[in-house]
Amino acid sequence: MKKDPMQNMKHKPSDRRPSFGKVLQKSSLSFFGMAPLLLGVIGLVGLFQVLVTPKMLASLFRGNPLADTLIGTLIGATAAGNPVVSYLLGGELLAQGISLYAVTAFLLSWVTLGFIQLPAEVEVFGGRFTLYRNILAFVFTMLIAVLTTLTLQVFS
Amino acid sequence: MKKQGTSFAFRGKYLFLVVSIFYAVLFVVNSETALAGLQKSSAVLLKILPIIAVVILFTALLNYFMQPRQIANHLGRESGAMVWLWALAAGVISHGPMYAWYPMLDDLRSHGMRDGLIVVFFASRAIKVPLLPMMVDYFGWAFTLVLSFYLLTGALVQGWLLEFLERKELFR
Repeated sequence: MKKDPMQNMKHKPSDRRPSFGKVLQKSSLSFFGMAPLLLGVIGLVGLFQVLVTPKMLASLFRGNPLADTLIGTLIGATAAGNPVVSYLLGGELLAQGISLYAVTAFLLSWVTLGFIQLPAEVEVFGGRFTLYRNILAFVFTMLIAVLTTLTLQVFS
Repeated sequence: MKKQGTSFAFRGKYLFLVVSIFYAVLFVVNSETALAGLQKSSAVLLKILPIIAVVILFTALLNYFMQPRQIANHLGRESGAMVWLWALAAGVISHGPMYAWYPMLDDLRSHGMRDGLIVVFFASRAIKVPLLPMMVDYFGWAFTLVLSFYLLTGALVQGWLLEFLERKELFR
């Protein structure tokens, strides 16, 4: 038997807005579903902060601006922690004579790249998106570090 | 991949299992380091709990006031130029670690949000408004301004490039 199309239009379920409580419950449940993922990443961050200190990473710089930019990007991407720590460490590195190219790359990759959270990023957004995003972030970190330093040199 | 309606599944079970096994082994080998790692992890978790609460509330508000179709219209392929600037602003004002925002972005993406906006959001997070005075103090005004300019411009270019790469692969 054919259904009356008007009847469907009158009672379209998508038009009925669920209560805010229900929506909040659904959002909370969605987060709860990701709890193992978030806890796994947080567990790795804790381990990393204990096993690898930022000073240990900073000792990897070599004194060559170009190589140090790459090293700065890799160190920032490997490190985990509050951005405040990256500022403190970045200031310390500058005082030690590490180039501004490397320090800028280090500051940027600390926030925009993260090897520790890669498994979680792949799980949530998929491998292809994660690969593209991280390659772009890696290239742009170095590019922005070079452009920022060159611009400052031109205007100083 | 995405759970819809009443279906529920935990995500990242294997990652959690691997990390738990690593901690268990570390406890046997070096219990002090394992305990220190757990303490650091607990501190990180406590720190991001308020951020997670805000993100849950924000996700709920978005889902309450905007139907999936509207989200797709505002943040999807048909969205205008302004939405890129909104993604930029959202990235700049967002707090906490990147992974705290994954569930909300995953939710928006499942409703049709374009991938380029996610890239812009992540890339612009390098600018932290509350930390700008500290950056000025450490590296100076000129550095902060020049870096912020390149960062924001770079974030937009990255978003566009990602969509270009995705489109190229789509039509291959």
